[in-house]
Amino acid sequence: MISVPARLTSPSDIENLANALREESRAAPRSVRVCIGTGCAAKGSRRLYELFLEAATQSGEDIRVEAKCVGCHGFCERGPIVVIEPGEVFYQRVEEPDVPEIFRETVLGGRVIEGLLYEDPSTGKKATKATEIPFYNVQERVVLGMNGIVEPTSIKDYIARDGYKALVKVLTSMTPEEVVSQVEVAGLRGRGGGGFPTARKWRSCREAEGSCRYVICNGDEGDPGAFMDRSIMEGNPHSVIEGMAIGAYAIGAEQGYIYVRNEYPLAVEHLKVAITQAREIGLLGKNILGSSFSFDIRINRGGGAFVCGESTALMASLEGRTGEPRAKYVHTVESGLWGKPTNLNNVETWANVPAIINNGGEWFANIGTEKSKGTKVFSLVGKVENTGLVEVPMGITLRRIVDEIGGGIRDGKLFKAVQTGGPSGGCIPAEHLDARVDFDELTKLGSMMGSGGMIVMDEDTCMVNVAKYFTDFLQKESCGKCTPCREGLSQMLHILNRIARGEGEVGDVEELGTLAEILEGTALCALGKTAANPVLSTIRYFRDEYDAHILDRRCPAKECRGLFRYEIDAEACKACGICLKNCPADAITGEKKVPHTINQEKCTLCGTCWEKCPFTAVLKI
Amino acid sequence: MPTVIIDGQKVEVERDATVLDAAKKAGVWIPTLCYHPAVSISGSCRVCMVELDRGDWRQLITACNYPVRRDIVVYISSDRAERARRGVMELLLARSPESPELKELAERMGVKSTPYPTVTESQRSCILCGLCIAVCEDIIGKAAIGYAGRGVDRTVASPFRQPSEDCIGCGACAAVCPVGTIKVRVHEEQEEVEISPFKSRGKLLVCEQCRAPIVSTQVGEQALGKVEMNREEFRELMRLCPKCRRSKTAARLEAGNIDKQRGGRVVS
Ligand SMILES: Cc1cc2nc3c(=O)[nH]c(=O)nc-3n(C[C@H](O)[C@H](O)[C@H](O)COP(=O)(O)O)c2cc1C
Ligand code: SF4
Repeated sequence: MISVPARLTSPSDIENLANALREESRAAPRSVRVCIGTGCAAKGSRRLYELFLEAATQSGEDIRVEAKCVGCHGFCERGPIVVIEPGEVFYQRVEEPDVPEIFRETVLGGRVIEGLLYEDPSTGKKATKATEIPFYNVQERVVLGMNGIVEPTSIKDYIARDGYKALVKVLTSMTPEEVVSQVEVAGLRGRGGGGFPTARKWRSCREAEGSCRYVICNGDEGDPGAFMDRSIMEGNPHSVIEGMAIGAYAIGAEQGYIYVRNEYPLAVEHLKVAITQAREIGLLGKNILGSSFSFDIRINRGGGAFVCGESTALMASLEGRTGEPRAKYVHTVESGLWGKPTNLNNVETWANVPAIINNGGEWFANIGTEKSKGTKVFSLVGKVENTGLVEVPMGITLRRIVDEIGGGIRDGKLFKAVQTGGPSGGCIPAEHLDARVDFDELTKLGSMMGSGGMIVMDEDTCMVNVAKYFTDFLQKESCGKCTPCREGLSQMLHILNRIARGEGEVGDVEELGTLAEILEGTALCALGKTAANPVLSTIRYFRDEYDAHILDRRCPAKECRGLFRYEIDAEACKACGICLKNCPADAITGEKKVPHTINQEKCTLCGTCWEKCPFTAVLKI
Repeated sequence: MPTVIIDGQKVEVERDATVLDAAKKAGVWIPTLCYHPAVSISGSCRVCMVELDRGDWRQLITACNYPVRRDIVVYISSDRAERARRGVMELLLARSPESPELKELAERMGVKSTPYPTVTESQRSCILCGLCIAVCEDIIGKAAIGYAGRGVDRTVASPFRQPSEDCIGCGACAAVCPVGTIKVRVHEEQEEVEISPFKSRGKLLVCEQCRAPIVSTQVGEQALGKVEMNREEFRELMRLCPKCRRSKTAARLEAGNIDKQRGGRVVS
């Protein structure tokens, strides 16, 4: 085992260490990597790791086996995931009883266990490696590249895989301005939602008046269902730390903060370990690697509210005040945390930085579209076959994400829309599925890139209900400071609720439009300013559904209770009596061998019969 | 000094003055609710929206806190600015339909009524401008009230909605409330002052002679600490209501036993 020197005091120290570590890992050709990201851990992967570790220690003298905990692979739905080297054998849905077999057959015997491989549901083909799975082979992994490979709590493992090489590069051969220029050449834009050019922000902060500057990492990730940033912080925390150190060097900051959502204990734990390790060997702290650059990082746990992810609210919360936004007429790069110039970037933005420095801005700029460079991580959820975390090159079409990575719509249903951009994003319909993933293109379509939520909806999804769901979320998360957001969202929700209940009125859609304009124009922060997007985009593409609710009192997707009825298809009904027994309203009549019927007067539309019928004879009409 | 052109009218202001300052200087009225020169600006009510010329586009900004740092052009009576202010006011009217003060401001803005129903429940007559909280903290130096709850459930309240121990019953919050929601109630029988709706109560100093209420005991004590005259004399005067104090002073003057040279700065 290579022992880490007490402190690295020069660039050559770290280079020597990296070389020694690489030599060492060559000596252990067999390894078992167990994912312990939140998704897999919830399915008991920690225990798997312990079992593999036990097996590895007992495996005898002649071969060395290494068992590692690694971060999220993205395909959480198929977890727990275990990868065996050599051969990158990708096992999914591994359970405790599988461990001895995997160890005997694959680790020691080099044989693949067919039953644990991923099988393509459409072709029935088995995939041995991750790269053979369609879910992975369309992806391009810049940020998530090391997730699932590197051990998040081992700085040695990170250094062995070229970790902190970018930091060494900037400290030894680049001026701060050159670093900013490389990021500018790369064309990196913020991954936290706004897509603001990162280099421009860095430069403004660097040039702002004042002696003390801060850099902050935004790990608040409040979008429901999103876990991009969590996976990075959990799976490769050193990449965030390295990115921040490089940014701090470029900007001239000596102190950094990582603001992590309170619900992410594993991310906090891994970041804490990583920071301590970096500090211990001298990659954080005073005079890093013997240079004149000093930088350290502190972790703060979030205040819990969605709005705390907004830059000014986040800074207020860091200062110990209520996490509420303030006007940004004076930018935070000029007067942010404690009134000092402050540069805030998202987790994914920071994690992109080491790769840009290592490979050069040009390399990064070659990925993506003209104005949106690099890759973007999405959390793909909803009615697709494969859900999970995916990283795709900018410019890829939505269709490829939905069909190839997502494997198309589940249960043979039809695609209706894909919602991007988080709660204040918008819904993009089938006719725009060939639109490309690009900041500006998504905005033009009435949605946005946001931080990377992607929810696929099928034909059974009611778009009025979708608008209602997101408006409700935002209304609950509004901090209530400013009038338009606090009052306006309540008014919008009130109208949407009426429409969904079948009490909509002619003119409601126009009134929603007026309220949307007020919000967009007058709300204090971006939460309120963008809060009408779900309503506006569904009106734009699915106006007919609004009209059906309002004019015909009908929900075409048959989701809004009361706007459709249940009926029993006499031909499909086997008169089994299950619906009759289960109906809480005694609304169903029928006898043996006689098709049952629903008494519409008595029916409370609870849907029990629809759920219980084993012959799908109950229909929504 | 940067110049601001407001609806075509030119004014010069100090750097970092606000658009509202510029409008005042130009003699142009912009409605405000949550703005008060005595306290820090929150920019939360949004009734002071105006349009800022950005060259190829125009941005809606709040006049009360937009700092002037270069020559700018703003529009107060443009269509979009007026629509924005009206929209905000209509939402406020839906929240607090009963407030005469709010209606008066609305009317001055040309807003006669609101198209919206009242859908929010909590503290209807409060528009959550936050002036009371700011004055209590910034000026009085207490923090007897603050925001509670989030979003539509946001209210102004004392901690845990219990009568606050920090409240000194000064009534500054009532004085700045732009919609007359906060009231100072005097309970003469109990010789107490109450700040409504916060339920905070404090003992009243009552006139030793006629028992008329003067001021809350705590305010009296705080005032004592700030007075630069003979304390004993002030203490004595404080125990009387202004009327009794005047007659007592007059009586003393008549008797000629007051040292006129030593006149203090007590305001009666
Ligand atoms: C209501 C609201 C919530 C936000 N939440 C987050 C968040 O959870 N994470 C994040 O990185 N950015 C969030 N943002 C965006 C941040 O304000 C900020 O723009 C971003 O962190 C800047 O980093 P970037 O330039 O790297 O994207 C949020 C913005 C708003 C208005
Ligand atoms: S827009 Fe909403 S979240 Fe933002 S300050 Fe106003 S009330 Fe708070």
